[in-house]
Amino acid sequence: MSLDNLTKDWSRYRKGIEEGGFHNYQHRWGMAIDLNACIGCNACSTACYAENNLAVVGKERFSKGHYMHWMRIERYWDEDQAKAEFPTQGANFLPMLCQQCGAAPCEPVCPVAAAYHTPDGLNAQVYNRCIGSRYCSNNCPYRVRYFNFWSYYESAWPEPLNMQLNPDITVRDKGVMEKCTFCVQRIRTAKDAAKMENRKVKDGDVTTACAQACPTNAIHFGDLMDAESAVTKLWAKHQVKRHDDEGLPVSTQHKQNPALRGYRVLEELNTDPSVMYLERVREELA
Amino acid sequence: MSGNEIKYFRPALGSGSPTQAAPLPSIKRRDFLKIMGWGTVGVTLAGCDLPTTVTLEEGKETVVSYLSPEEYVIPGIGVWYASACLQCQAGCGIHGRVREGRALKLEGNPDSPVNRGKLCQMGQSGVQTHYNPDRLSKPQLRKDGKLVDISWDEAWKVLEEKVGAAADKSAGARVAWFTGTVSGHQAVLIGEHLDALGSKRHFVHEAINNAVGRAVNQDVLGEAMPRLAIDKAKLVLSFGADFLGTWVSPVHFATEYAKFRSGARGVLVVAEPKMSLTGANADLWLAVRPGTEGELALGIAHALMKSGVSVPEAARAAVTAYEPAKAAEITGISVQRIEQVAALLKQHSPSLVLAGATVEGQEQGYQAASAVMLLNVMLGNVGKTIVSRGEFPFPQLKPRTGNTRDLVAFAAAAKDKALDVAFFYGANPVYTAPASLGLVEALQHIPFKVVLTQFPDETAAQADLVLPVASSLEDWGTHVADYQPEQGVITFQQPLMEGLYPGTPGVGDALLKLLKMREAQKYGAFNDYFSYLQNAVASLPEQYKAGGLTNKQLWEQTLQKGLLTVDSAPGSLKTNVSAITLGEVKTDAEYPLRLIPSPRLGLWDGRHANIPWLQEAPDQISKVVWDSWAELHPSTAARLGVQEGDVVEIASAHGAIKVKVYVFKGVHPDAIAVPLGQGHEDYGRYAKGLGVNPLKILSPAVDAKTGELALYSTRVKATRTGVHEELVKEGRDNTSQRGRKLVATITAEQFRRTEGV
Repeated sequence: MSLDNLTKDWSRYRKGIEEGGFHNYQHRWGMAIDLNACIGCNACSTACYAENNLAVVGKERFSKGHYMHWMRIERYWDEDQAKAEFPTQGANFLPMLCQQCGAAPCEPVCPVAAAYHTPDGLNAQVYNRCIGSRYCSNNCPYRVRYFNFWSYYESAWPEPLNMQLNPDITVRDKGVMEKCTFCVQRIRTAKDAAKMENRKVKDGDVTTACAQACPTNAIHFGDLMDAESAVTKLWAKHQVKRHDDEGLPVSTQHKQNPALRGYRVLEELNTDPSVMYLERVREELA
Repeated sequence: MSGNEIKYFRPALGSGSPTQAAPLPSIKRRDFLKIMGWGTVGVTLAGCDLPTTVTLEEGKETVVSYLSPEEYVIPGIGVWYASACLQCQAGCGIHGRVREGRALKLEGNPDSPVNRGKLCQMGQSGVQTHYNPDRLSKPQLRKDGKLVDISWDEAWKVLEEKVGAAADKSAGARVAWFTGTVSGHQAVLIGEHLDALGSKRHFVHEAINNAVGRAVNQDVLGEAMPRLAIDKAKLVLSFGADFLGTWVSPVHFATEYAKFRSGARGVLVVAEPKMSLTGANADLWLAVRPGTEGELALGIAHALMKSGVSVPEAARAAVTAYEPAKAAEITGISVQRIEQVAALLKQHSPSLVLAGATVEGQEQGYQAASAVMLLNVMLGNVGKTIVSRGEFPFPQLKPRTGNTRDLVAFAAAAKDKALDVAFFYGANPVYTAPASLGLVEALQHIPFKVVLTQFPDETAAQADLVLPVASSLEDWGTHVADYQPEQGVITFQQPLMEGLYPGTPGVGDALLKLLKMREAQKYGAFNDYFSYLQNAVASLPEQYKAGGLTNKQLWEQTLQKGLLTVDSAPGSLKTNVSAITLGEVKTDAEYPLRLIPSPRLGLWDGRHANIPWLQEAPDQISKVVWDSWAELHPSTAARLGVQEGDVVEIASAHGAIKVKVYVFKGVHPDAIAVPLGQGHEDYGRYAKGLGVNPLKILSPAVDAKTGELALYSTRVKATRTGVHEELVKEGRDNTSQRGRKLVATITAEQFRRTEGV
């Protein structure tokens, strides 16, 4: 949404989420993350640091919650074992990144439309527009927006570490909110390459840094508008649907087979995430 | 991902000047093959195709600088080059993205059978090793007790005096190399250098190793490193073998694990005293009393025997002695659990049983690991999930695998004043050696210590001469991993960019320089390591040039792929079980706890503590960043009266460390786990002064059979200090899903019904 439209039709913009969000998509980038495969190793997170110029903040700032990892591995312990002497199973790992919601709570609260919805279905952040109100972060149920409390570039890349910075994207300054972009620079490159060849972007042309690194292939990335993409097929196989598939006002699971593993985290909030998770699997041995 | 072809790198040594053609040294063919690393195999060399040092482009190689870039180099578009990851010893292949002459991002090489296009966080961080702000750029010489910067000319002159041709010939035998695991042509040249000096002293040390396991494999199976078909197993039982994190070839095993967990979905059972990353993915996790894994294995073997599985005669006495009830008493694992695991093993065939560092790092580590291997033999896994890898066709290139026995031997040799000169490369023994070995004092008895390193590490601080070397992204090389997957492979390393610090030699170049000092005639023809490697490829046996490949084509093809696949016919494995004797498990009233110096995927043995990404990457289990911690079971913590963040003093008979407590149920109450990697006294701004190094307080006890340090056998006591500091963790204390559906779980039975094959 451009700033012009925004000022013209402010109230409609604010209510957009209740109308189910934006529907006229060119692409709809999405993921499927298989928790049966995820081993919690952190490769995805470090790959994200390398790809997206994420700042290392140091122990002191980390302790205040000022860290910048767009992709993190959450680790939970089984609650039913709270009284047991030892855990009888492993941990519950959850790779958590921006869910690129179809009806994103972060977008309508931005007073300057820095958080907006792209025609690709991404929750984009316009750094130059951001004034650092942090309303978006406050409203994000997934806690995946990261605020530049400091000018990290002053300390995060002492020479020659700065030579590693990815020239395809920026280094952010103090006062700006940042977040996972689904490696939008890679998407851009793939779209440009396809355009040069006068064709559409096909499945496999683009993947995110996290998906590429993942040793167990737990992360799948692709276009949910592309019926042939592996991600679309996984979503269909697990009978998880996006709002706009049926113009649903709220997220509803229409699983014929409730045993299928697909689900979206906190989907009861009607955020319509673009990331589908596949349930973790465990033997019943305890 | 820009869809570019993988290119190979042309070193820009100067601008446009062709390197001089030089005739091959007039040496015997057999010697030549030995220098080239293909020695001791029946190699047929085509007489007409004997390589010269200049094999490319009609006898002349024009060296191209970035002033006249290759036509595929377009400003703003990244070009990908294949190379090798040197962050651990697994031998993964990488693709590096290069733009405007800078290496930016590393990915796994999809052609590599080791990592199959994937890369762990340590591999991802290769760029931060390369661009590290604390890299050394100038050689340093100790003058009046202090290391001072000198010129490269002076550095080579000093070396010429110490180990050159003019140096006393008889003194050559008193020169030693102390390295981490080395393989490929680097290992060949280190061997050649020692040969040229008349020394046999090559000490190879890794703190994280599987030397005891290799010894057991060799004795029982007849092969030190067979292939482990995790994907073929229906159940994997791991005794502390953290194959998803820190054991042998983690990325490769993780790709295998993904297959293992799909379709029919194998079961993972892990028994260990402290939960590892592999344990954190287990269907059934068993907290075994530290140092009693061998007894647990025999208890399971006993239960299997009772259910009709036959036991090899040699091991019958040991198995008979450990009834589940007795094993339960020793290990703390209930009889019911032992019988359950035995039943699971019987039910899921073939299975795979693995022994890791916590089993092997005991005074009876070899025996305990043998007890674990016995399970594989009893269950008929040998030949099914443990299969022969065959002999690597080029023995000279095989890795000299690191261990701790050589560390002990080196300290002893130094103490005995048996060494005049020691070269260090790829190892930081002053950091990894337990203080009880007295290594730092022993080093004073070596008059001249040369350290080849990128960083001012603890060993460099003890050096007389510090030689900065090129980073792995600036260097040439060939690497052979100890663990070879289905397809044997030599991984090729090529520079992704020009060196950041002019004059800094590659490791191979430094070795050639040292060799030329001694045997100018034999090595003079090789301008540099680059031309040496070209010659090595050109002199490969004919079978590698199938389809009429010219030397140039073979070289380019190899570099573009980043690897050379080699054939080695798998043989068959033996099952040669010997008697197993486990002694009494000792207890110590004064030191009631066992110290587990647990390795981390990330900081590894401490070598990655200077990488900011890895310091800020939360530990997979505790989620702690930028620090050390001591994992204590809640019952132990309660007994000591400590909570998370309280500082305890952990004391062994050999020293003490002070570290913050992390209370965690995934550790046995008799154990206290302190992760490896921190506690650097040197090693640059990101590493220095953070946390503690648990290796320092380990006892010098060794495994009786192999002489390997028993790294997991040290007994300690912990006492409260009264100091409290916040432990910085990701996610704070958020360990519960609080009823929300964040990580949902279904049963394996259900999974197999809907998605099984």
